[in-house]
Amino acid sequence: MSTLKLAMQNFRSSVKNYLALIISMSFTILILLNFQNVIYSDSFAVLGTRNKDYVDTIIQMICVVLGCFMFFFIWYSTNVFLTKRKKEIGIYVFMGLSNQKIGKLYMLESLMTGLAALVIGIGSGMLVSQLFQMILLAISDIAVEIKFRFDIKPVIITAVVYLAIYLIFVVKGYVSIVRSSVLDMVSASRQNEYVKQKNWILIVKAIAGTVVLAAGYYMALKKSGQEMLLAAVAAVVLVIAGVYLLFGGLIPLFFQGLKRKKTFLYKGQRTLWVNNLIFRIRKNYRTYAMTSVLMLCSVTALAAGFAIKIRYDNIVHFRNTYTFQLLTNQKGLGTTAEELIKKDNEIAYQSEITMLQLDEGLFEDQEFRTLRAILPYSQLKQLAKDTGLEFSLPEPGVDEEIDMENMPLLSLASADQNAVVKINGKEFRQIAQTEVPYLGYLQESVSYYVVNDRVYNELLPLGQQLYTYNYRISDIYNFRESLDELDTITSNTAENYTARVAIDPKDSEVEWMKVTYSVCIFMFMVFILASGCILFMKVYNDAFEEQERYRVLQKIGIGREMLGGAIARELSMTYAMPFVVMAVSSYFSVHALGNVMNTDLLAVNVVSVVVILLFSVLCYVLSVLVYRKLLNLDIKK
Amino acid sequence: MKEKKVVEIRHLLKDYGTKGFQTRVLKGIDLEIFQNDFIAIMGPSGSGKTTLLNILSSIDKPTQGSVMLDGQDITKISNRELSRLRREKIGFVFQDYNLLDTMTLQDNIALPLSLSGVPAKECIQRTTAIAKSFGLEEHLTKYPYQLSGGQKQRGATSRALITNPEIIFADEPTGALDSKSSRDLLECLKMVNDQKKATILMVTHDAFCASYAKDVYILSDGMIQCKLSKGADRREFYDRIIDMQASMGGDFA
Ligand SMILES: Nc1ncnc2c1ncn2[C@@H]1O[C@H](COP(=O)(O)OP(=O)(O)OP(=O)(O)O)[C@@H](O)[C@H]1O
Ligand SMILES: [Mg+2]
Repeated sequence: MSTLKLAMQNFRSSVKNYLALIISMSFTILILLNFQNVIYSDSFAVLGTRNKDYVDTIIQMICVVLGCFMFFFIWYSTNVFLTKRKKEIGIYVFMGLSNQKIGKLYMLESLMTGLAALVIGIGSGMLVSQLFQMILLAISDIAVEIKFRFDIKPVIITAVVYLAIYLIFVVKGYVSIVRSSVLDMVSASRQNEYVKQKNWILIVKAIAGTVVLAAGYYMALKKSGQEMLLAAVAAVVLVIAGVYLLFGGLIPLFFQGLKRKKTFLYKGQRTLWVNNLIFRIRKNYRTYAMTSVLMLCSVTALAAGFAIKIRYDNIVHFRNTYTFQLLTNQKGLGTTAEELIKKDNEIAYQSEITMLQLDEGLFEDQEFRTLRAILPYSQLKQLAKDTGLEFSLPEPGVDEEIDMENMPLLSLASADQNAVVKINGKEFRQIAQTEVPYLGYLQESVSYYVVNDRVYNELLPLGQQLYTYNYRISDIYNFRESLDELDTITSNTAENYTARVAIDPKDSEVEWMKVTYSVCIFMFMVFILASGCILFMKVYNDAFEEQERYRVLQKIGIGREMLGGAIARELSMTYAMPFVVMAVSSYFSVHALGNVMNTDLLAVNVVSVVVILLFSVLCYVLSVLVYRKLLNLDIKK
Repeated sequence: MKEKKVVEIRHLLKDYGTKGFQTRVLKGIDLEIFQNDFIAIMGPSGSGKTTLLNILSSIDKPTQGSVMLDGQDITKISNRELSRLRREKIGFVFQDYNLLDTMTLQDNIALPLSLSGVPAKECIQRTTAIAKSFGLEEHLTKYPYQLSGGQKQRGATSRALITNPEIIFADEPTGALDSKSSRDLLECLKMVNDQKKATILMVTHDAFCASYAKDVYILSDGMIQCKLSKGADRREFYDRIIDMQASMGGDFA
């Protein structure tokens, strides 16, 4: 029989065993393809090129993350596959096949498995691509009709990325088979687990893990201004390393301790499942760590999505504080403008304020702001009263000021309470900061310092006074009607400088944020599914290895219910351990995210952890059923 | 004076294969086993020894006939009861030991007890006691892969005995052992039979092995052909078994 034929036969007979592998790999292909598709489709073109560019960049970034994920996923799953295959293929050694031949056999079989996954992945990916985009647009709250469009480019990119990664590991498997001895192959799955970790290594790992994880948590909670981003990156690295060390050290140590306490162990099914858990933890701790990290990513992605959503709403709300704003050097233009607006629209509220524009040279600081202006405290207080905006700012003293901020997406530089501004050689201490949109859109592009009226009057000779008149109309969608009237008073001469701002509530340059929000939700689901996939695959593999052992147990009279109970307990640990580590870590990661994005995300954190809990329970129940079925089926034979 | 009857087999038939193509492996076996018996079943390869043992130990079902174990017909009871029966009344010793490689020897031996709900303290006590009598007390914390074949088999026998079963079934218990380890194991079996009144049914190829039993049944062609009983001397018994084998023909290994 030719090698190819043999490989075909093997593939056909074992396809059921590797279904889990094929399905999970095609899942990663499906996801990557769908994200690639978004870049090449024109569904998001309605947002305008700038937004579309942003969306594309974000999705490209996500594709890179997905690519990395694919890499590890394939690495992991081919490893499992290889160990199992090695044992089965090892039998061919006795039939007189050389290692090279066996390696070739393995390569051919893996290629068939890989291609099957590719075909299924691309096929199902294309099937759901329309649905995916529809959901993405629906969550993003973007109304656009999707035309069915097939583009070959994303398919090619996805296939190439996948095949490149897959081939690396197929070749790696080939090399490993060619290099291994017969004995290795025959007892491939048995040997590696016999190696018991030395206790002191576990202790070192456990201590290192706890310290590293604690350091990661500490970093995540740090509010350190400019270094916050650096701290966040450090936190990510530390937490991941810590989780790995924890599963590699503390958890085996804990269970080995339990095992040594025989009065604990010899109770019910504990002898069985605690020993099983320990037996496998050396091989499985990476799986636990990986799923823990993936679930953590999942929670963080959801939190990021919600933070962006909240931010987006705030920015839109901020911007729409006023529909029209006039910035002028003409005092008293307000009444004219009011009359003009009233021709076509009803005014909901209005306000005015005087500001002092100083020569840039008078400021003496390192901050790189372009436009700056001074506001008198009393007028701001009046403005708040006119518009109904909340106002709780203290009156600044003669050497104090208040900063008026815009609403940024990220605020990496946290409030520095002791900031000092130097104006005309005089120092002003910042006593407060506000993000209330007193000046609406104008507040986004100009930095304002609110000072005591006396200070304002003292500074008056040093600059030019500008007047702003702000109007919010009742029907903001009808703003266009008033544009022609307002345009009659705009002017750009030395004597008469009058500019107007009109806010279109429908047109927003931050529309890409909505897409990012929905992409984050997808990432949340992708990560959950991926971690579910991995755990499920692990359980599936374990069940295969367990068949022999459970047959023995049945022979010596251990009933199905009892074995079922042992399985249920062992699996509950499998799911509970990564979950608990994730739940604790997520508090810190989400908190860090909340810091960076200036939003309280505790509720999102709790909700997503609960969602993952429900999902885990579902996976758990499913695995118990599959596990029992795999073992029971064999018993009846 | 005969002791309590532990097993009673009546007209046991066993067919293998699908309808129309059946082969009868066991062709009517009648056998009684009493407490404190030590029986060896010998026979040529393919004569149905393992099949018989599997039916007796309730792993397989007979085509016809009944198997009474401690007054209960095991061919007629539910799976659940069967499990309990196996756990509490039967001890198994397999040719390939079948110790669980996931746990230490002590845990292996304690497993049937702890699963039956025996308090942990008692489990520990009994495992150490039995390990001592089998010369295993130094090996309790070792994993099966760290033990020799003989130690593993003695461990497996300890596991079979820990629940004080009514009867112990052993299928070629010395099949994978060298002669020294075989002798050690057989001495242990003899010891539990003599001192603890354990009942043992053993399947074997080996005349030497069989000579440790009190009675030897020869199974051939699906039937029990004859029975030999030990006199005072094991060596003399061994010679008689060899003679019997020789008289039965060439295919008797
Ligand atoms: N599951 C089965 N299906 C069909 N035939 C079987 C099955 N198990 C055993 N047999 C047949 O029944 C006969 C008796 O087998 P058994 O295993 O009981 O022999 P044995 O006496 O234990 O032999 P050995 O000394 O070689 O172990 C053999 O001919 C065997 O082929
Ligand atoms: Mg046999």
